Amino acid sequence: MSYQGTKINPTKFHRSQLKFYVFLIPLAMFMMLPIIFIVFHAFKPVNELFAFPPRFLVQQPTLDNFKDLLGFAGDSGIPFSRYVFNSIIVTLSVMFLSVFMSALAAYALSKMKFKLRAAIFETNTVALMFVPIAVQIPRFLVIDKSGIMDTYLAHILPLLSMPIGLFLMKQFIDQVPDELKEAAVMDGAGEFLVFRKVMLPVIKPALATVAILSFQLVWNNIETSSYYVNDESLKTVSFFMSTLVSQNGNNVAGQGMSAAASLLMFLPNLIIFIFLQSKVMNTMAHSGLK
Amino acid sequence: MASIRIRMTNKRRKALVGTAFISPWIIGFFIFALRPMIYSLYLSFQKVKVTPLGIKTNYVGWDNYKYAFVSDTTFVEKVLHYLREMALNVPIIVTFSLIIALLINQKIKMRGIFRTIFFLPVIITSGPVINELLSQGVTNIPNIESYSMFEMVKQSLTPAVANPIMYLFKQIIMVLWFSGVQILIFLAGLQKVDHSLYEAARIDGASPWEAFWKLTLPMLMPLVLVNFIYTIVYISTFALNEIIVMIKDNMFNTTTGFGYATAIAWIYFVLIAIVLAIWSLLLRTRKS
Repeated sequence: MSYQGTKINPTKFHRSQLKFYVFLIPLAMFMMLPIIFIVFHAFKPVNELFAFPPRFLVQQPTLDNFKDLLGFAGDSGIPFSRYVFNSIIVTLSVMFLSVFMSALAAYALSKMKFKLRAAIFETNTVALMFVPIAVQIPRFLVIDKSGIMDTYLAHILPLLSMPIGLFLMKQFIDQVPDELKEAAVMDGAGEFLVFRKVMLPVIKPALATVAILSFQLVWNNIETSSYYVNDESLKTVSFFMSTLVSQNGNNVAGQGMSAAASLLMFLPNLIIFIFLQSKVMNTMAHSGLK
Repeated sequence: MASIRIRMTNKRRKALVGTAFISPWIIGFFIFALRPMIYSLYLSFQKVKVTPLGIKTNYVGWDNYKYAFVSDTTFVEKVLHYLREMALNVPIIVTFSLIIALLINQKIKMRGIFRTIFFLPVIITSGPVINELLSQGVTNIPNIESYSMFEMVKQSLTPAVANPIMYLFKQIIMVLWFSGVQILIFLAGLQKVDHSLYEAARIDGASPWEAFWKLTLPMLMPLVLVNFIYTIVYISTFALNEIIVMIKDNMFNTTTGFGYATAIAWIYFVLIAIVLAIWSLLLRTRKS
């Protein structure tokens, strides 16, 4: 942050920016490595898959891993597209519902006054700290008793409450000045209208962040499929991929298939991420938060 | 009198609307989070057997908890390791994400791309990528030493200088991968800071260094606490965390069983709570 005279916002590259690049570029390269690795890994032929130390770049790219994966998928009776369809339905419902519910609850906790407000937020913070897998059997009992086993609801409902989502969302809404809400109320807007027309546009970065986190949680989740759903035709893609890998984990073809499966599972992550994160960054600058 | 009555009903109506807003969340939370949590506390005092006919429980008092500390040697070791991690890595991660946030908040070219890249860990540390990387041993730090960059550091410097640098590099992988959301939170905070304040400070003769300590940091302080909480929670509940893996392994283990797994989970839960309490206490006193 050297002295730059009256010029505050350099629009072009300038030598004084060089020191930022010295830090940023190596770190950024480092961040990219895992992704480069996972992409190249899926295209490696057998002899390169087992090379030690693992190499980053592929020497002789091949599509064999994907062919193996597709060939195997044909044997299990249920078409691959069915798993994909299940995953998409479940993931989209959870993403939208959980983001909407967290935003609604966070808005109420942050900008409305009612009894137990503090208590509810404290409870949420406590739940944040709790390890999710420890409640697996109790959760199973709840789902069993409520009779939603073997339905889409068994995938969706357990993942809806996302303490970390509510936590982040409330922190964001806390930063929004009260005047914004008051102005709208002055003009005669009801609470829901304020929420929809004033609050949601302003907290878009938070919505996108929670949506990304929620997507990760659902898309990669195999627990709901393995514990709450017995019907093979209702299971999700991530579960299917994990069984593929575990069934063939030890043999040579399994390694290649697992590499290909990882890449296929990762691509939607990357796409959703790139799509949503641009919203995160763009809206932050002119969100009226200043 | 009339005005009082109107205010009362108004207040009541407001409370009602608030409750309506939050009720979907509360209902879901109670059924799928809080109730199972309480039930798992009950199970932690039981010997649990999962049979084809259902779940059989047998009251054993504090045995599960005693077993964790007295008989199970690995548990205590893992707890100590966890606490050390919490004391060292959390402040490193938060400081690092603050530095990165400050850097990419500068007006530099390609800053959009940098922001995207530094937010990437959010999708790296969850799901298939990290699994694949782990199974390939790429996250194993010894492997990374075999890359030429690290060889160079080792050979060109004396061990006394090289070792701390190597340690920092080893930490950097983890630090980088765990700092995505934190950078985002800091960035959002930084963009809120009024630019005229910096101008005023500069006119009064403050250097950028002073401006950071006297202006930026105090304003970011609430977010520092948020980030500490987020980091602790994120690392603690990360699916490949040692203690979590241990809980998972014990869940369907026939000798220890689910009761013991929940007991460890509750001990771990209390530990996380203590770590959080200590850090927020430390940060709060520094603020005032």
